[in-house]
Amino acid sequence: MSLTINRRTFLQGAAAAGAVMGLPRRAMAATALTMQAAWINDAEFSGYFVAMDKGFYTDEGLDLTYLSGGPDVIPESTIIAGRADLALTTPDTTIRAISEQGAKFKIIGAQYQKNPIGIVSLKKNPVNTPADLVGKTVAVPPVNTVTVEALLSLNGIDRAAVNIVPYAYDPTPLVRGEIDASLDFTTNVPYTISQLGEEAQSFLLYDHGVTLFNDTVVVTEETLAAKRAELVAWLRASRRGWDENLADPSVYPPQWEGTWFKGTGRTIDNEVFFNTAQKDLIVADGGIFSMSEDAIARNIDALKAVGINGTREMFDTTLLEEI
Amino acid sequence: MANRARFLRTATARNLLILVLVWELVGRMDWIAGGALPGLSEILIRLWVDRGDYPSHIWATVHASILGFLIGNAVAVGAGVLFVLFPTLLRLTRGFNIAVFALPPIAIAPILVLTLSGMAPRITLAALGVYFVTMSATVVGLSQFDSRAADVVRAYGGKDWQVMRLVRLRGAVPDILSGLRIAAPNAVLGAILAEFGGGGRWGLGTYLLGSLGRGEPARLWGIGLVATLIAGLSYLVFAIISARTLGSTRSVTLNTAIPDAGGGTPGPLPVRLAIFAGAALLPFVLWWAFIRLSGVPDLIAKTPLGVVEYLFLSDTSHIARGKLLSALAETLPITAIGMIAGLGFAFLLAISARMFPGFIKTFMPVALVTQTMPLVALTPLLVLMLGRGTSVTLWITISVTFFPAFVLLVQGIQRVPQTVLDLPRAYGASAWKELRMVSIPAALPYLFAATRLTVPRALLGVMIAEWLATGTGLGNLLNQSRGYLDYGMIWTVAAVSVCLSVAFYYAILLIERRTLTRLGMQTVE
Repeated sequence: MSLTINRRTFLQGAAAAGAVMGLPRRAMAATALTMQAAWINDAEFSGYFVAMDKGFYTDEGLDLTYLSGGPDVIPESTIIAGRADLALTTPDTTIRAISEQGAKFKIIGAQYQKNPIGIVSLKKNPVNTPADLVGKTVAVPPVNTVTVEALLSLNGIDRAAVNIVPYAYDPTPLVRGEIDASLDFTTNVPYTISQLGEEAQSFLLYDHGVTLFNDTVVVTEETLAAKRAELVAWLRASRRGWDENLADPSVYPPQWEGTWFKGTGRTIDNEVFFNTAQKDLIVADGGIFSMSEDAIARNIDALKAVGINGTREMFDTTLLEEI
Repeated sequence: MANRARFLRTATARNLLILVLVWELVGRMDWIAGGALPGLSEILIRLWVDRGDYPSHIWATVHASILGFLIGNAVAVGAGVLFVLFPTLLRLTRGFNIAVFALPPIAIAPILVLTLSGMAPRITLAALGVYFVTMSATVVGLSQFDSRAADVVRAYGGKDWQVMRLVRLRGAVPDILSGLRIAAPNAVLGAILAEFGGGGRWGLGTYLLGSLGRGEPARLWGIGLVATLIAGLSYLVFAIISARTLGSTRSVTLNTAIPDAGGGTPGPLPVRLAIFAGAALLPFVLWWAFIRLSGVPDLIAKTPLGVVEYLFLSDTSHIARGKLLSALAETLPITAIGMIAGLGFAFLLAISARMFPGFIKTFMPVALVTQTMPLVALTPLLVLMLGRGTSVTLWITISVTFFPAFVLLVQGIQRVPQTVLDLPRAYGASAWKELRMVSIPAALPYLFAATRLTVPRALLGVMIAEWLATGTGLGNLLNQSRGYLDYGMIWTVAAVSVCLSVAFYYAILLIERRTLTRLGMQTVE
């Protein structure tokens, strides 16, 4: 990246400076910023939808482009390739990439204080604790195998004692009893299971030693240096969006039936359930996206159990302080 | 004869009706896998309920398919013309062409999503799906022209390119059209596959992904049927166009002059070796160029050298090699079995087509649905019926492989000259004996061609089963590597699976050439 100042970068700088100093912002040309989400449009990203719809990003002088995710999209790849400025990632993947591949990432915030991923089973054949997994068949998306291995190792369970099979995001095999449990968002799939006439039982991996964040906000060091002000503005606007959304989780999803959620194949009731269930996992004492020293230490400890070496330097909490 | 045809048609209609009724009954009564197979009416009702969702998704899929179809075919026809004009070029690019044909889409999709953005991965996968078919059809069409018409042009002082323009290109139109007919559904399937993984907002693949989590088989089957319908319609459009234009290009009388065998002089050994080396290297050069042109950083986009370094030169190479080898040890044996099973199934069907034509006419629509139904949508059903062991892998592999092989074998059995068939008939041989002693041996070149088609697809089928159901082998390694952000492994698996497919293809080609030369038969393209 060269540091020559042309008209455009000058304007960007000016707009960002304006955003930071609280000048009247709407009058200024907005700075382009692109975010890569972790999955297709669902309630997991409600805060950003609110912030976009209500113009919170525009208020901050940002012209935000939102990219949806999918099974083959590795959010980290999008920011390495320079197609997005920031990405929502799973922290285990990101930290492994930093420590093993030398990727230059910084984690600047965390949407979920507690990872919503859990082991979901049926009440009539419940898996209540990691120990119950012994001898059972668990469906896990291949991408998340690392996380389940962490759970087993942290709870002293032999990996060979659990039969792990691929999970294709369809709860049918669980409801039909072909598998005993699956790894999924506990905020989401129990709703579907109830619709299929069964009752779900689940526990969070977080409550059994895998004390990880999820949807960590990740940027490259290069972007952090070049667009710091914009990133702070993004965090501020997104926090506003999340606060607004979580004030009453049932308000916004129905409004997006014809926009964000149109044609996703999911139902609005499902999204309301999701939005309500995720509230406690997102809200933090220090404000949404907080990363307290305690929480960071817990993340690093949990990852150590599966041989991933995280350090405090991988987390940059200074942007949160500037909000 | 006309009576018999009418009888067959009514019989087919009757059988189809029975089939639909059985499906409906089985679905309604929840007989298969505790209701995982919905009845046809349930699917249609669900389709009607969801009708508002479909237009944008269908449009996105059709849009990407059409762009991929146009680009892929433009390149394919252009390449076909060049190959016929400069046969050396064809030999030089053979490695590349076979590689494109043998690319397992599930290994390539993640790589396209890594290196390209927006609609580009979908369009590319659609284009890759059409290239080989159309290119081969173009080459075949341009090579088999009416030499009498060419003689006329030459007699009036026409040059090679004028022969090309006035005779060969015109003569090749029916062949190219029949190529396009097969290519069109391929484009649709390629686009859907890339949508499924690629993170766009619209497209049937995206819709399928969102719907998977709902555990509603009727919706999944609905999406599958819509995909089938689009693929079928695209096939039909070109079938009609080609039926319309066929009459205007075909020679009125039979050309009795035998065209020269083609291929030309192979040249001295060093030249042949150089061309062979070039053909082997070209795919890697193009791979390297693709990465350089896409401008994606080295960390995520690996060049051929990057993969070599990953596998042999870095500190963790031995771990990577160990993972790869143990995955291959799981994948290769089942691929061999799957290939035999797929061919065997196709062979049985082809024989049944000869013995019981009515049965096969009923079976064809079902077979077509299995070809265009996204396997992801079927997996929960397959897993419930077959479990997660060898049998599910074999059935997925059979379903991915049998169709092209079946079509070729039927062609082979049908093309046995009538005069040859008259002999056993005159001696009162049974249909079975006639098949065994005449039709099957005469169709041997087609059996080999079918094997060549089947082998790369068998690997694809096994990888799909590993990815969706069993969680073993190369298919699973590819997916797990994404979770580990192990880019080196993602590229390695893609490269290894393509190399394996090409190697299989060549192995069959060698056996085929030897056997057929000994039997005095010609190979079938």
